[in-house]
Amino acid sequence: MNEDFSPFLPLSPAALHILLALAGEDRHGYGIMQEVARQSDGQYRIGPGTLYDNLQKLMTQGIVEESASPARNDDPRRRYYRLTRFGRALLAAEVERLDTVIREARIHLRAHPRRAT
Amino acid sequence: MTRLLYRLLLCLHPPAFRRQFGGEMLSIFDETAGAAVWMLLADALISLARQWLLRSGAWKLLAAGAGGLIQITVGGLGLFLVRRFHGPELSSMHAPMETDMGRLIYLAVWVVGAVVCSVIALALWVKDFTGRRIHHDA
Repeated sequence: MNEDFSPFLPLSPAALHILLALAGEDRHGYGIMQEVARQSDGQYRIGPGTLYDNLQKLMTQGIVEESASPARNDDPRRRYYRLTRFGRALLAAEVERLDTVIREARIHLRAHPRRAT
Repeated sequence: MTRLLYRLLLCLHPPAFRRQFGGEMLSIFDETAGAAVWMLLADALISLARQWLLRSGAWKLLAAGAGGLIQITVGGLGLFLVRRFHGPELSSMHAPMETDMGRLIYLAVWVVGAVVCSVIALALWVKDFTGRRIHHDA
């Protein structure tokens, strides 16, 4: 089954980082913020306002969903999130798109290495 | 004190967003407040503006208000110009004719105003509709 991801691509930097943070495991909001900072070596950080604004949209679009809390003694205010099957496929499509962009960029930079001065 | 301020900012968010994420945002504040309390407050302030102005559709109310003001301004300006340049002619005419002419011009001015407002509202609506993609970075 071929899904059409074109209405969702390209992802915004915040949405891409959130999806990447959730690709490995289910996480709560603070965990997502920490993972985003870790993945970018601290160069990209998102605040709770940006995070939950994006999560709200991603959940509405069926890309992210809530999951059960893995720890019983966890803070009850914490909620966990995970990628849906559609969300995972969308992330794969975005990574593929970025890969094409990077390949093109490398080809052009190799072809004209001294043009950009 | 800063926690109280943060809670106040969260309370001012739209009810649906506050119910869904308010508790979590406060728990994040509790975990990280020591290091970056002012950044969190600024983030909450930006989030507050974003939720009300962009996400809740309140901007449509602002647009409608602006549209109404434009219509009133256009209508009033038209009426002023008609009275200024055609006042003597209108007053020299017979009373029923003056009334009919005045009403007709007044109606025409208001129709133009309404068309202008409709075009603005439609343009805003189309922009909002076509802009519903995942581009919602801060």
